[in-house]
Amino acid sequence: MRKLKRSMAVTAVAALALTACGNGGGSDAEGETLSVWIMEGTNPDAESFFQGVKSEFKEETGATLDVQFVQWAEAHDKFVTSIAGNTTPDVAETGSTWTAEFAEAGALAPLDEQIEKAGLKDDLVEGLVEAGTLEDSLYGMPWYAGVRSVVYRKDIFEKHGLTPPTSWDGLREAGLALKEAEPDMTPFAVPGDSAYLAYPFIWGAGAELAEQEGDTWSSGLDSPEAREGVKFYTDLAVKDGLSSAGATTWNEKDVLDNFVKGNLSMATMGSWAMPAILEQNPDLEGKIGAFPIPGPESGYSPSFLGGSHLSVFEGSKKQELAWKFVEMMTTGETAAEWAEQTNYFPGQASLLEEAAKSDDPLVKPFATQMVEAGTSVPVAPGWGAVEAKKTVPAMIQSILSGDKSVDQATEDAATEIEELLNGK
Amino acid sequence: MTTPTKAGAARPAPRAATGPTPPQRRGPGRLRLSTARPWLLLAPALAVLAVLLLWPLARVLLISFQDYGLREIVSGRSNYIGFANYAEVFADPALWTVVLPNTVGFAVAAVGGTVILGTLVALLLASLDRVWRTIVSSAVMVAWAMPAVTGTYVWIWIFDADRGIVNQFLQGVGLLDEPHNWFTDRWSFYAVVLVNIIHHGFPFVAITVLAGLLGVSKEMLEAATVDGAGAVRRFFSITFPTLRPVFAVVVILSTIWDFKVFAQIYLQPGGSGSNRSVFNLGVWSYVESFAQNRYGFGSAIAVLLTVLLLAISVVYVRTLFKEEK
Repeated sequence: MRKLKRSMAVTAVAALALTACGNGGGSDAEGETLSVWIMEGTNPDAESFFQGVKSEFKEETGATLDVQFVQWAEAHDKFVTSIAGNTTPDVAETGSTWTAEFAEAGALAPLDEQIEKAGLKDDLVEGLVEAGTLEDSLYGMPWYAGVRSVVYRKDIFEKHGLTPPTSWDGLREAGLALKEAEPDMTPFAVPGDSAYLAYPFIWGAGAELAEQEGDTWSSGLDSPEAREGVKFYTDLAVKDGLSSAGATTWNEKDVLDNFVKGNLSMATMGSWAMPAILEQNPDLEGKIGAFPIPGPESGYSPSFLGGSHLSVFEGSKKQELAWKFVEMMTTGETAAEWAEQTNYFPGQASLLEEAAKSDDPLVKPFATQMVEAGTSVPVAPGWGAVEAKKTVPAMIQSILSGDKSVDQATEDAATEIEELLNGK
Repeated sequence: MTTPTKAGAARPAPRAATGPTPPQRRGPGRLRLSTARPWLLLAPALAVLAVLLLWPLARVLLISFQDYGLREIVSGRSNYIGFANYAEVFADPALWTVVLPNTVGFAVAAVGGTVILGTLVALLLASLDRVWRTIVSSAVMVAWAMPAVTGTYVWIWIFDADRGIVNQFLQGVGLLDEPHNWFTDRWSFYAVVLVNIIHHGFPFVAITVLAGLLGVSKEMLEAATVDGAGAVRRFFSITFPTLRPVFAVVVILSTIWDFKVFAQIYLQPGGSGSNRSVFNLGVWSYVESFAQNRYGFGSAIAVLLTVLLLAISVVYVRTLFKEEK
């Protein structure tokens, strides 16, 4: 912690110094290069997008952008090794669940001063601010966000006179009707290797994954509410047979693949998956729809609001230039354009409101989900460890495979979460 | 394994310069040079080995005595905690009930399966004529040439619960009423890994043993046949003793490979952490440490694995050469 405080003090001084000389004129960065890491695959046409950004940035600051694309799968390791070897970029896209972790290690610079000065403090999407905050400082500028909702086959629903369900019972009944009507298709995927697809049923039942009381975290996974939610979710597979034997070990990629192949009638997926579905199987154009994950009786079940931050590294010697780039990317036209190309939502609240007004049937349900029922995983530096250890997938999978009862599995998972968050 | 050799062989220049000097043993100076010469010649290779193998090994050992996380990586500070990581490894019930039994049990089955199948294929190859030997050994090579990741995905696809050909066949002939997921149960999960590893590992054994077989004296085999020994007797009384060193190499290498098998388990459905009953030492080390930035703990597991393999190799090599005397 001492290191953190010191680094914050250093940055504060640096920020003051920078603002002092910043009055002299905007384009002092002639000839400088700003290195940036961006995740690959978010935007199918990222190359041309960043060509535009590069020339705009050059015009505005005189500095050159060096954009490198990093695979999601190897990104975490790459960050760690670059931190170890002092070869971090100036700015990087950080997954919203990683930001707190890297900030705690002292690798990222706090951005509060700059955000305050730019007047953006009250114009950021809350869930992303929460995820990027550590001890009252924001270490990641909200860039884009997304949520998962239920994606369904509109053509199949219409063929059998079904309408999108608005309660858990309705979801189950729709599934049972589809099982009867379309025996070759799996009505609703309950994958055993995905936490994000299980969370809505835990949150929807009114439980929390973990809550902080004083200095200790306690998990609500073994509460009666959570057990009810987990039981409903897994019973869709175990009792009603609405899922498939294979789905017991599916991850989200498998869910997407099977939906693309036409094996699934309903599945929980992210808004960003829509372009991929239509690209891989153009026949589904016009045949798919989405609806927010229903609540137990009515309303919506909360879904994980995840996304990416743009973070400035503590080791960067170009803090002012770095912030200029971050501000350009995450606000205004550039941010809106990125969101539109990727089927994500912007991290700037005013832009999100604009996007939520969309009438696109593949955007509106996700926007509703995000605005009405988007939520964050517990903001604890140890939550990354819980995800890495696959605590919740292990719980769901052991119930689906019949290894553990709901009570046993939820109890074990709650114990493990508490151990990991409280650092044993 | 080949890197140091290559690196060593890549510097023949100084050797050529000193090469033509005839061996002279006059004076103590000459004597010292002649004892030093092998070491001088070995120096480049040893230096490369030290940098590439010894230093990382020492680092792993040092890190295993520390609580080493992201914070230590950022700050570059060390944080020694003595044997705490090892204590935690040995105190974890998962080590004794899941990880070690899976690692050791699987290695025994896989080494046994690979060596037996490989030897049988080698015997088959040895009895074929030249044309058929070429055809069969090329076919065998294909299995060897397949990258581990690709091979694993093929087996996953074959055993897929909903649309895999194994389930379709079993359901077709009425042995299975509804689709069965082979990856949720510890035994069937490892059965698939076993098939994958044996399929991928037997060609190496077959080719190596075949090379040995071709060197077995034909006269002795013929003499034994005349004396009335059957094929099994001939194998165990003549072929096997001759091939003992070959089997030693094959078994030790297979043991090392099968102990530290990672990709074939990690990539199978449930193998990356959501099915805790299928962890082996490698996957456990990765999931417990790398994914959670607990590098000290992960290093302790890695050291444990290394020590285990060293012990097995030493014991095996010793018994083997003792018997030979």
